Amino acid sequence: MNKKWIGRNKFGRKPEFGALVAFLTIGVGFSLAAKGFFSLATLASVLTVVAELGIVTLGISILMITGEFDLSVGSNLAISSIVAGRLLQQGLIDIIAIPIALLFGTSLGIINGLIVVKTNIPSFIATLGTMMFWRGIILALTGGHPTIPYFGHSLIFQILNSRTILDFRTSAFWFVGLCLIAHGVISRTAYGNWVYAIGGNREIAYTLGLPVNKVRLFNFAFCGMMAALAGLMQLARFQSVDALRGQGLELEAIAASVIGGVSLRGGLGSVYGAILGVLIVGLVRTGLLMAKAPPYWYQAFVGLILIIAMIVNRRIQASQQ
Amino acid sequence: MAFPLVKMVNISKSFGTVQALNQVDFEVDYKEVMGLVGDNGAGKSTLIKILTGVFQPDSGEIFFEGKKVRIRSPKEARELGIETVYQDLALLPLMSLARNFFLGKEPVKRLGPVKILDCQKMKEITSQVLQDLQISIRSPEEPIAILSGGERQSVAIGRALYFGAKLLILDEPTSALSVRETNRVLDYILASKEKGLSIIFITHNISHVYSVADRITILDRGKRVAQFYKNEVSVEEVIGFIRFGYKGAE
Repeated sequence: MNKKWIGRNKFGRKPEFGALVAFLTIGVGFSLAAKGFFSLATLASVLTVVAELGIVTLGISILMITGEFDLSVGSNLAISSIVAGRLLQQGLIDIIAIPIALLFGTSLGIINGLIVVKTNIPSFIATLGTMMFWRGIILALTGGHPTIPYFGHSLIFQILNSRTILDFRTSAFWFVGLCLIAHGVISRTAYGNWVYAIGGNREIAYTLGLPVNKVRLFNFAFCGMMAALAGLMQLARFQSVDALRGQGLELEAIAASVIGGVSLRGGLGSVYGAILGVLIVGLVRTGLLMAKAPPYWYQAFVGLILIIAMIVNRRIQASQQ
Repeated sequence: MAFPLVKMVNISKSFGTVQALNQVDFEVDYKEVMGLVGDNGAGKSTLIKILTGVFQPDSGEIFFEGKKVRIRSPKEARELGIETVYQDLALLPLMSLARNFFLGKEPVKRLGPVKILDCQKMKEITSQVLQDLQISIRSPEEPIAILSGGERQSVAIGRALYFGAKLLILDEPTSALSVRETNRVLDYILASKEKGLSIIFITHNISHVYSVADRITILDRGKRVAQFYKNEVSVEEVIGFIRFGYKGAE
């Protein structure tokens, strides 16, 4: 893979290419460092982490391509699962309780969108506010009470997230399906074209007659829905939810998106890049566990990769101009 | 009397305490190049943004093809056949030529229940139009960033023509261009007029507008101070109007 090839090949000039190289390097590295890393069982456990984080990242990365942020996904994930848990505890049937929780999460996304679109506050600030607000509400309502358990049997939870053959979980299939749809929409529809245009320059998009605010609002709603969906999957997996669930998740998801080449300034990035970013994060988490490294190293490692990815992406972008 | 293509009557617009436009009348005839000139803050941009639906006037009426219209958004303006090429706001540098060209008017084909982009068609038409404009590119999938300023203006104008514009608004199309590129854009303006379009040419540069315009409207501090056919006045007189607000300054 010499420089010439990279220069000539179209994919070689994309940030996603850097993410792919990083993914392979890290994969090979852990395969050498940790016994038994290169196996289907590892893949299954990587995907368990990746599916939940990945679904959140999917929502965030599309929002970031639109030029917006959502820092409230962690709080959204927690409060949506608490809503589901409480409703189920009260004896509400799952087929009603779970969609209600999903709609609740979606409406939190819509609230974020409305604040940003109607008041013109930067979404970074607006969603920092809602992140703190909803987390505060959770703590107030639960009194910080450690967990809300749910041990009942739910077919929906089984469909969302349960073990199948070889320890692969259904959540992984959901993730793959959602990725395919999201990738298709972003890269192959007029809507996807608008998303990139709005993220690239909102004013140009508006003067060309695009429904700028509708698209932004919709992507906020989608992001909220994905956060709630991931929360429900975690509730299904852990059979409980606590008040601190999802803390720090927003930064992990943003980190994964950026590692995968999604620009913080909007207008650049791709769904498959974001997926690569999440895979890298999942690989690191599982790999460090299997290499018997203390868990603190996970954050340090992801932080390091984030910075390297940013430097590489800048270089790649600079070489294009 | 026959109605012109566009007639704006008694347009006023304030931003807070600033009166940007004060009872301005403006019109463009069929197959006419109308120059719109004036100093900074004269109200040119505001007037145009009202015509393109970005701003709503506080008062006044707009007639398009003889019918009274309310243009509430750039989308509605485009639907009427008003295409605008803004100085810096025409194209997205990071997106491909083909995607830029069709932005907001993407061709789609049905794949079962879903509509997907007709990428093949987008590439073919973009390549064809660029060829007609004598812009050579390797592929319509290249980003706009590879084009020069003049080429970008040409692409934006080419796009407006392709989508059947009746009225083409060019906002400072020559301000950032080299002499050769400027001439090329001026040629496009004349060629577009030959094809039957009307054009509003907004500029600071009197000699550019003087060489292609049929009529010139001059705004000064939110008021229309003059409107005349080009052959009625000299370049010096136009400059006098802009600088002093009246004809033949001493």
